[in-house]
Amino acid sequence: MLGIKFRGTYKMNFFVNALMQKQKSGIEHAELTRLRLFNQHDTPARIVLRNYDPVLHQTLKDDGVDEAQVINMFDYYQQTQATPFNPTKVKDLDFGVLNTTTEFEAEHHRYLVYTPQHQLVARVNVRDDTEEVTSTELFDGFNNLYRVDFYDIRGFVTLQQWYSPDNKIENEVWLTPAGVPVVHAFNRADVNGDISQSGWLLTPVNGQVFSFDTIDELFGHFLNQLNDDFWDDKQPNVFILDRSTIADYTMIHFRKPAYRVLHFHNAQASAQDPMHSIVNNNYEFDLSVMDQFDASITATKRQAKDIEARFHPRTPIFTIAVGVVPERLLNAPRVPVSDREFGKMVVFARVAPEKQLDDLVRALGIVHKDYPQVSLDIYGYADSTNNYEARRKVLEAAKEVGMEDQVQLKGYTTDIDTVENKAMMYGLTSVMEGFNLAIMEASAHGLISFTYDVNYGPNEIVEDKVSGRVTPYKDIPAMAEAIKQVLADKSLAQKYSDGAYDSSKRYAPDAVWREWQALLDEAQKRWPAKLAALPTAAEK
Amino acid sequence: MNYFVSESSYLFNSGTEHSQAKRTALFNAMGNEAKFVTRNYSRFLNRDLTREGLTQAEGLNMYDYFQGITEVERKEQPLRLLKQIPLDEYHLVSTNPNYTCMEHDGRPIAKINVMPATVGLIDNINYRDRFGHDVMRENFDWRGFKSSVDYFHQNGDLGTQLFLNRDGQPVIEITHMNIGKKVQPTMWKLLNYKGHSYRFNNENQMFLFFLNELMSQNPGSTIISDRRSLDPIIADVQNAAAKFAYFHDTHTPDVQAPVHGKLYDAYKLALEDRPEAFDAVIVPTEKQRADLAQRYPEDHFIAIPDTYVSSEQLAAGRAASSNREHRIIFSGRLAPEKQPEHAIRVLKKVLDQVPDAQLEFRGYASSDDEQKQLDEQVKTLAVEDHVTFGPYLAPTELPDRLKDSAVIVQTSREEGLGMNLIEAMAYGVVPVSFGITYGTNDLITDGVNGAIVAQNDDDAMAAKIIELLTNSDLWHKESKAAIAKAATYDAKTVYNAWDGILAKA
Repeated sequence: MLGIKFRGTYKMNFFVNALMQKQKSGIEHAELTRLRLFNQHDTPARIVLRNYDPVLHQTLKDDGVDEAQVINMFDYYQQTQATPFNPTKVKDLDFGVLNTTTEFEAEHHRYLVYTPQHQLVARVNVRDDTEEVTSTELFDGFNNLYRVDFYDIRGFVTLQQWYSPDNKIENEVWLTPAGVPVVHAFNRADVNGDISQSGWLLTPVNGQVFSFDTIDELFGHFLNQLNDDFWDDKQPNVFILDRSTIADYTMIHFRKPAYRVLHFHNAQASAQDPMHSIVNNNYEFDLSVMDQFDASITATKRQAKDIEARFHPRTPIFTIAVGVVPERLLNAPRVPVSDREFGKMVVFARVAPEKQLDDLVRALGIVHKDYPQVSLDIYGYADSTNNYEARRKVLEAAKEVGMEDQVQLKGYTTDIDTVENKAMMYGLTSVMEGFNLAIMEASAHGLISFTYDVNYGPNEIVEDKVSGRVTPYKDIPAMAEAIKQVLADKSLAQKYSDGAYDSSKRYAPDAVWREWQALLDEAQKRWPAKLAALPTAAEK
Repeated sequence: MNYFVSESSYLFNSGTEHSQAKRTALFNAMGNEAKFVTRNYSRFLNRDLTREGLTQAEGLNMYDYFQGITEVERKEQPLRLLKQIPLDEYHLVSTNPNYTCMEHDGRPIAKINVMPATVGLIDNINYRDRFGHDVMRENFDWRGFKSSVDYFHQNGDLGTQLFLNRDGQPVIEITHMNIGKKVQPTMWKLLNYKGHSYRFNNENQMFLFFLNELMSQNPGSTIISDRRSLDPIIADVQNAAAKFAYFHDTHTPDVQAPVHGKLYDAYKLALEDRPEAFDAVIVPTEKQRADLAQRYPEDHFIAIPDTYVSSEQLAAGRAASSNREHRIIFSGRLAPEKQPEHAIRVLKKVLDQVPDAQLEFRGYASSDDEQKQLDEQVKTLAVEDHVTFGPYLAPTELPDRLKDSAVIVQTSREEGLGMNLIEAMAYGVVPVSFGITYGTNDLITDGVNGAIVAQNDDDAMAAKIIELLTNSDLWHKESKAAIAKAATYDAKTVYNAWDGILAKA
């Protein structure tokens, strides 16, 4: 009954994540890149999302992602994976009260609906300056706010939050478009009186009813169901877990076999002391159960080596780049260094503490003394942590080295080609990285990269003295010296730029696909043994 | 269509529901379509109306109507065969015959109640969260399907009730929120009915909406209010061809002065506040009609009995054995106004002369206290071996007890008519009653087909019963006369009385 839409396709590669929001982190970018790669190679793939998101399908539309390739858990049970867009307008609402009047409150983007006796029936919240309803706050005939209904951007009530008599959210119910409750969450006090989400119930249309303590348990049930929906005796479903904490426990307890893969998107421990430091909390559990997964993925060889050395997993670690340099860039005409603005360095990064961009400014400050032409353009949102501390430190450093005019915070841009085809250099002075797509893209545009020797990504994407320079961590003078050498030697600059263009071929679609193919081959190779351990499957 | 309207039909019905059910059956038997209409949500309505001898098509409940489940064939649903329970995930542990625990890996996650008086049929499932709060309850109809879902507030009070159609879509919501400082139902919302939603502040508003729907669907319909609590709603119903209030009981507690005595409050609307809303008030006896007509000369009153005996009943009564045990039947609620304590005192006296006499109560106690008092009385008088408190019997079940009983006693303070007596008489049971308002004189001619004694005169009542139990010839003569009297309330006669007023209306 459930998931019937997907029957007919069989065997699937699932990319498991919590959400796909408008402002994406590296994990979501990596998944979308991977999805395109799988599509280009006619290999079935689905992004699987756990979190409720009433605007998901608009985001997918904006990102050009086919919604048929994304299975959100709530959509799945609400039977709304492929619901057409027909946004609910204020005039479409029916409160069951005759002859209501409506007043607009511009400052709150909402309408107030009254009975003829001027008793409040509802507050209707709308999207910005449109008539599209985002939620309705509903009142009974005795002035109690009893429920808030949330509307999916496609135009149906998707979530009802029922209120308690003392005005707290008590019961949450997700519905099919026909109004059938299918997922329930309850908020209750424990013995100490602290309120938290205390249980989930799944009541699918004509389906079996399940009770769960947490959303993680529900998600686990859902993943098992997907494994059943796409079950194929001949080949395994592959689950790539991109956001480990949401499903790592449940994936090592799957009911039926599948090929389950942990994807390390970030450093597993301190980049400077990977062998001994306390591990990244997000991966602590996973690193303890690696052998209960079938394989892991790192984006760099260096990270794979460090994990091997410290944790000795008996399951394979595949190194698969999370970035892909598109054919379009690989085939674009190369821009010689002489056509680029001399001394122009760019950075594409969030202006955040862990990026340490003030280090980069200080290195350029040293260079600036000999080469007054050097300048730095930083593209990216400023992180608000600690009252925009990172941005303040960048500006302070620029002032200190007398480069207020040459260091510019440009904000976020998508026009990377124009910027990177004009500039000469790219810089990176982060504490640590998981991969760093930006420096890969910089190389693909022929920029000469200068980076600290930090794990993981920068010191592998940048090949020292081939596509730029990898200088010791936190050694600002060393980086300044490396930059000066390049500025002083035109042929060296051209050599590194050529090297950058060439090195980016390592991330060509075919190259990255070969890495994936190796994993999929291994999954297939392991399948007969896994299947043999399952009596019911063996009998079929 | 004829709609006979009351609040509900119950496991233990009172005379009002019996009467209403019989009238429904009578009309339908005579080819004049009628329905027993009820307001309250009841998952057991099918069971209870079946026990009244009605078919599903003869009943019409508001919730059933909106849920689209007015006629669903019953299919017994054992809880252990419920498809929605994943038996590969949960254990069902039968704690006792009344409920079963659903456990996940040793932890209870739900309690499943068994439908009362069944073996293992599903009644409801109560799901609880990890803190042990009841959070959601799924309620099953007697006919074997999920009919409603309840959600609870933090403190365990009922929060939201959803009533479902057969596709599982909620069609009615009831919310329980604050009215002042008290949590109680604040809203009945009818969802997407014929394309629109309707919000009501109380159940009666929704009931009025429902009744108006019935009237517009079947123009020319007659509607009868059988419960005084519903008079205000039925008074507001629009587009009925005729509207009546049927009084099953006396209109005043002051039965000595029915023309001037203070009215029961519930009767004020039909008699004084809005008499114009009804075409007529119908009462079971000519005497009550005359009293009311004298009291309210402007208004229209009609007398039609609130019961009848079918030809099958009369045939069965005539065929019943005349060789009966010395059993005295008391049929009716064990409530203060019925004065069952008198019957026990009478029995004690009868036993002096008739040592094998038995008194059998058939009727439910109106309260635990009432039952307790009667039990104590039986003990004090040392008549334990001669008094039986039998389980409540539905109208379809009672005749078997009547058939071999000798006497029926009536010790009430007041009655509307005494349908229990008519039914007993149809089976040849001889009535002995206090002389009360109303009905006694309509039903009993003293010394011919039974006995009437002064109100609360236990000695006289005992003497009459002793005479009947010890004088076989007398009993046979009066028993025959009782059947003959019951026959004057035959279906055709009673229906003709109805037909006359419906034609006029």
